[in-house]
Amino acid sequence: MSEYILEVNNLTKRFPINGGIFGREVGAVSAVNNVSFKIKKGETLGLVGESGCGKTTLGRSLLRLIEPTSGEVKFNGTDITSLDKDGMREMRRKMQIIFQDPYASLNPRMTVGGILAEPMEIHKLFMDKQERHKRLLQLLDQVQLPSDALNKYPHEFSGGQRQRICIARALAVEPEFIVCDEPVSALDVSVQAQVVNLMMDLQKDLGLTYLFIAHDLKVVEYISNRVAVMYLGNMVEVAKSSELYGAARHPYTKALFSAIPNPNPNVNPDRIILEGDIPSPMNPPSGCHFHPRCWNATDECRSAYPPVTELSADHAYRCFNPNQV
Amino acid sequence: MAEKILEIKDLCVEFNTDRGRIRAVNGVNLEVFKGKTLGVVGESGSGKSVTALSIMRLIPTPPGRIANGTIDYRGENLLEIPFDEMRRIRGNKIAMIFQEPMTSLNPVFTVGNQIEEVIELHQSELSKEQRKEKAVEMLKLVGIPSPEQRVTEYPHQLSGGMRQRVMIAMSLACEPDILIADEPTTALDVTIQAQILELMNKLQKELGMGIIMITHDLGVVAETCDDVAVMYCGQIVERADVKTLFNHPQHPYTKGLMESIPSFDSTSGQTKGRLPTIEGMVPSLFDLPDGCNFQDRCKNVTDKCRGSEGEPKLREISPGHDAACFHPLS
Repeated sequence: MSEYILEVNNLTKRFPINGGIFGREVGAVSAVNNVSFKIKKGETLGLVGESGCGKTTLGRSLLRLIEPTSGEVKFNGTDITSLDKDGMREMRRKMQIIFQDPYASLNPRMTVGGILAEPMEIHKLFMDKQERHKRLLQLLDQVQLPSDALNKYPHEFSGGQRQRICIARALAVEPEFIVCDEPVSALDVSVQAQVVNLMMDLQKDLGLTYLFIAHDLKVVEYISNRVAVMYLGNMVEVAKSSELYGAARHPYTKALFSAIPNPNPNVNPDRIILEGDIPSPMNPPSGCHFHPRCWNATDECRSAYPPVTELSADHAYRCFNPNQV
Repeated sequence: MAEKILEIKDLCVEFNTDRGRIRAVNGVNLEVFKGKTLGVVGESGSGKSVTALSIMRLIPTPPGRIANGTIDYRGENLLEIPFDEMRRIRGNKIAMIFQEPMTSLNPVFTVGNQIEEVIELHQSELSKEQRKEKAVEMLKLVGIPSPEQRVTEYPHQLSGGMRQRVMIAMSLACEPDILIADEPTTALDVTIQAQILELMNKLQKELGMGIIMITHDLGVVAETCDDVAVMYCGQIVERADVKTLFNHPQHPYTKGLMESIPSFDSTSGQTKGRLPTIEGMVPSLFDLPDGCNFQDRCKNVTDKCRGSEGEPKLREISPGHDAACFHPLS
């Protein structure tokens, strides 16, 4: 078996835009554009970028919750884009997702016990009644919730506890890979740290692999082994999280990380303030999508899209004029 | 010493709910100085937004009620002046920007209309043409490109960062004394946040207003504020100038908040240790413990904190540095 649990090759998702009285296709948004990456077993790959850069679409395409337009997603060597419905369902037992909003992603009419048992029911796991109960208690214990939570409803829990329930539901079918889509963004700072710790503990105990999507760069940097940066549907840089802050090659990565407010009033931030907004993905700029906001842009950047440059096995970027480190 | 323009004394705000009466703000004292930024930090439900709304007298009544206290603005108690007079101050002398720039703008009027409305209400001596000019000028001030064009556009045609700029332009149209910014950048991406914070700093230098910056992001506080008040369960638990607070936090809650933010100083790149956390969660306002509200989550808790000597009062630890704790950290 290869050391990579997930290999993504040239994944693309285009959303057509229909207009006119006949609803013809008048344009398209390339939410994810020719993205390729790999995730090692037991690793956490962080995925960052600003709103609308395609990080959520990418996360969902990996589970085919959004059907990718083209490209390949290999999970443990199997290309899941070619699986039929039943095959995909079977595959999802190994691939789970945790959503951002713990208020919206739990059914308010189901007890926590019901919520946690449903995925097992679907995948016909722990069918013996006593075994099922034991498993439910084990799940609650893993996410550090009291066992009397089983008969309670989601509204009886705080935001942080609800996110624990969502994590337990994802763990119920014993997955190998979890897409975490902004799992701590809706939580207060002190609770956020608790959930981040919990997720790191679970990863260690259960050997999980995470794709951790978030816009909070500090949290991503903290939890991830490597971080991928997206801009307008393209992956512009992937690097070890320790390298990304200090040794970023892509100007966008550098600007993104320098924009984070520093909770230390003693240092004067060396800040790069980007001009303008993210361009519309319906009508992206020519060449490198970042060139209108880039201070290193040359004519080359305006005409051609930069290819991937691999610095090392863990560090790659797409830029003609990278930062010198 | 800068001129003191706003002083809040012993503010208490109560809300009647189905489950009884709660005190969302309990005995808050704050001061705002000309040309300075006061940061108010706290988690959800700590009472920071309610404090801000009280200054504007925008607390929905009922169910809300300002139970006690004074808000002194240049010698006038804002809580006692007639409604008409408050309306003249609101938007004119004290302006506010809200977190969500989409829902705070009216979708059926152009951006220009909305800025002109503010000017019309508070500077009625200006003619229609002058108001139009002023609206364009305001958009230029907040750094919106091609303002003549933008002034005729509707909010949905603008991006989130642009909308927040429009909100700032509106709030500054009358050159207020005090700007209350309630989580102004929380809904924005970091690169846009950096633009907006820089803009606010620049405008403050030009116009000399006092800013109340309400946020849960300690990074934003460290970079924009001169003084900081930390709120927990409706009370101020610590107050100091920004450097003192970050370098020598006295209240265990403040320290815990600072530690639970991941920092960038790690070098390994491999899995890091656990983040320091504050155990447990914020107690419900319906069911606050006797004594210190932070007792159940505090590592230094003693019997004194559990109510044998009442609740800890905000007291001076060192000159200019107050904390509400029986066992301050250093």
